[in-house]
Amino acid sequence: MSKRYLFFSILVAVSLILAACGGGAKAPDVCAENPDETVCAVIEPGKTVKIGYGGPMAGDYSAFGIDISNAGLLAVEDANKAGGVEGFDFELLVEDTQGSGEGGASVANLFVSDPDVVAIAGLTFSGATAAAIPIFNAARLPMLSPSATRADLTGGDQDVFNRIPFTDDIQGQFAAEYLFNVLGVKKLAVMHDGDAYGKGVAEKVQEVFTSLGGDVVAVEAVTPGETDYSAVLTDIGAAKPEAIYYGGYYPEAAVIAKDMPVAGLEGVILFSDDGTFGDTFIELAGENAEGVYAASGAPVSSPRVEEFNTYFESVYGDPPGAVSTFTWHGYDVTDALIQAIKSVAILGEDGNLYIPREALVQAVDNMEGYEGLTGMLSCNAGECNASGPSFLVVKDGAWVLP
Amino acid sequence: MSKTLSQNTAGPINTFLIVQVIISILFIAFLTWRLYTVIDSGAYGPDTWLRFAISGLIIGSVYSVIAIGYTLVYGILFMINFAHGEVMMLGAFAGYFVFEALKSIPVEATGLSFLDSYQIVSVILAFLAGMFISAVVGYFLERIAYRPLRGAPRLIPLISAIGASIFLQNAAQVTFGPKRRTYINPASLQRSVGWRIPVAGEEVILTYTGVLTFVLSILLMVTLYILVMRTRYGRSMRAVAEDKQTAALMGINVDRVISNTFVISGVMGGAAGVMWGIHNGIIYHYVGFIPGLKAFTAAVLGGIGNIPGAMIGGMILGVVESLGPAALGIDFQLKDVIAFSILVLVLIFRPSGIIGEVLSEEKV
Repeated sequence: MSKRYLFFSILVAVSLILAACGGGAKAPDVCAENPDETVCAVIEPGKTVKIGYGGPMAGDYSAFGIDISNAGLLAVEDANKAGGVEGFDFELLVEDTQGSGEGGASVANLFVSDPDVVAIAGLTFSGATAAAIPIFNAARLPMLSPSATRADLTGGDQDVFNRIPFTDDIQGQFAAEYLFNVLGVKKLAVMHDGDAYGKGVAEKVQEVFTSLGGDVVAVEAVTPGETDYSAVLTDIGAAKPEAIYYGGYYPEAAVIAKDMPVAGLEGVILFSDDGTFGDTFIELAGENAEGVYAASGAPVSSPRVEEFNTYFESVYGDPPGAVSTFTWHGYDVTDALIQAIKSVAILGEDGNLYIPREALVQAVDNMEGYEGLTGMLSCNAGECNASGPSFLVVKDGAWVLP
Repeated sequence: MSKTLSQNTAGPINTFLIVQVIISILFIAFLTWRLYTVIDSGAYGPDTWLRFAISGLIIGSVYSVIAIGYTLVYGILFMINFAHGEVMMLGAFAGYFVFEALKSIPVEATGLSFLDSYQIVSVILAFLAGMFISAVVGYFLERIAYRPLRGAPRLIPLISAIGASIFLQNAAQVTFGPKRRTYINPASLQRSVGWRIPVAGEEVILTYTGVLTFVLSILLMVTLYILVMRTRYGRSMRAVAEDKQTAALMGINVDRVISNTFVISGVMGGAAGVMWGIHNGIIYHYVGFIPGLKAFTAAVLGGIGNIPGAMIGGMILGVVESLGPAALGIDFQLKDVIAFSILVLVLIFRPSGIIGEVLSEEKV
């Protein structure tokens, strides 16, 4: 009995499928030829066009993830207010990578398994991004990262990864030149947290500073997460540097700023990167933050930037750049992806929205003249912005231009 | 373990002992050679060595106080309370919230906040709050996570302790949020400010917070030692440690003694947490974990179950961590490797620690 029923039920199922396919859609050419969600995303009416974002949403570095995704959510909100794409709304999916490589890979797999996700506004943190790139490359999901800056992420045998911040190499070069030429430092100590980002930028500073004719008197790594670096700083203090360059993030930079006086480094300049920049650093380091330099990718002021700043602050309470330096970047990547999706999306006659994945990858890779908050963005081999950072110093509890 | 070891080494050839001695001599020779080359190279002046020592002694004194918590519990229950680092972390948070609350209370007479007007009172309040909260946590930890497992094989409460540690960490993350906080110290206890000692043409800063931490931890440990060795209550603790059944027959309430041990170990952990906060400044939910492991190392180093051992073990560990990488001329990122290598070496060559565990029949 069961066999006969099984036969019938299979017959019914097959005929239903055939009916669905045959009677259905007049989809756009490329999508009609490949009725496969891996080639063409098919968004049914009532569903949203999803953009994925992955970053550290909890834990030590959550300031970055929360801040960047908050800005991205505003971009989606703005796009939906303006009518979305062909009447379809956008949606930003935010997932926690915990900032780690493993987290990046698992978030990437999560996004890839959702056929409605068409582009990735991330990821945040180079380690997580490096782990995610092969997965997104295989699934043909274009990436536009607001903050992954490790030099070697672009290039290689993939073509989905793009980013809008300046790279670690550019930052390291600008920082070394600033230290040597503007601040007149001749003896520099270099520190980093051993992480891909911090170590990369610190090594670049060391290389450029040496080539400029400066003297790197000490190189030390710290263990992230600790709250006492007095011993390692004492070791550096024995080399009598005029400034310390620290490659890493704000929690460790705050501890270094606190421990410098007891290590015989009073009056020595602490110079750090854009992972340190932000009000969280000043909050953690308190009075010891005074006189600390850091790099910032904050955009130059313009009416549009001011408008965004006011609106962002009214929604989230903090002005952009207060929590991390990548707020504007978070808005820009999401908005730029939305524009790219709009340029390739086709409304089928069946009411479904078709987004050819390969065309979207090409649209993002060849983005030209996009007017973002962070400036004019044109992608070339994955790099969409080549302008350097500006350097700010803490004065009376606030970041100001020196 | 000690006893089986001594039986082995009592054999006619004593190969193990010979190997031990040879390795020790080689190791010491290597250390001496490294130390000589580093000192001879003149990379570090006397001021630098002094700074290393100060930094190590302050951190070491906090390790000691935490280590006491491990030692007390081990002495009575023969179990490692791995959640002790988290007890310390919760104490640090309690102190933080007291300082924050006092900072927000204005005092009209001085025009400053309560925190800056009555600084000594504020510090005492913070320590009391930290000790109280940690004592409460320690008490319930024992009631919920360990007492139901009493009598189970030794491994079971150990796993329960690791579970409790992870639970407390995550509970703190959910409750207080993942962000780091900076201790708001009273005005005269600013971090990285202190007495300036001229050494070899340089000024070495001896921070007020560091001195407070060091002196207070010595006081706490001496008080505890007197409590355990000289009072009637301490005698009941030692009796329970020696032999639970006989102690019970002598009219000692074993359950209460064990509960109180956890409370006392919590008090020490809480004090360590507040000291950590005042001196190091930055606290978050993970802040107790690594110091907890280091303190455990310190307890084993000095001889677990032994109060002076914990004290000496903590100080040695702190100084070795601070001086070690410089003296050996290696990267400072390896200081944890040095600390845990010491743990391994002690476990191999002298499992009873530097001072040695006072072994009762039952423990052996």
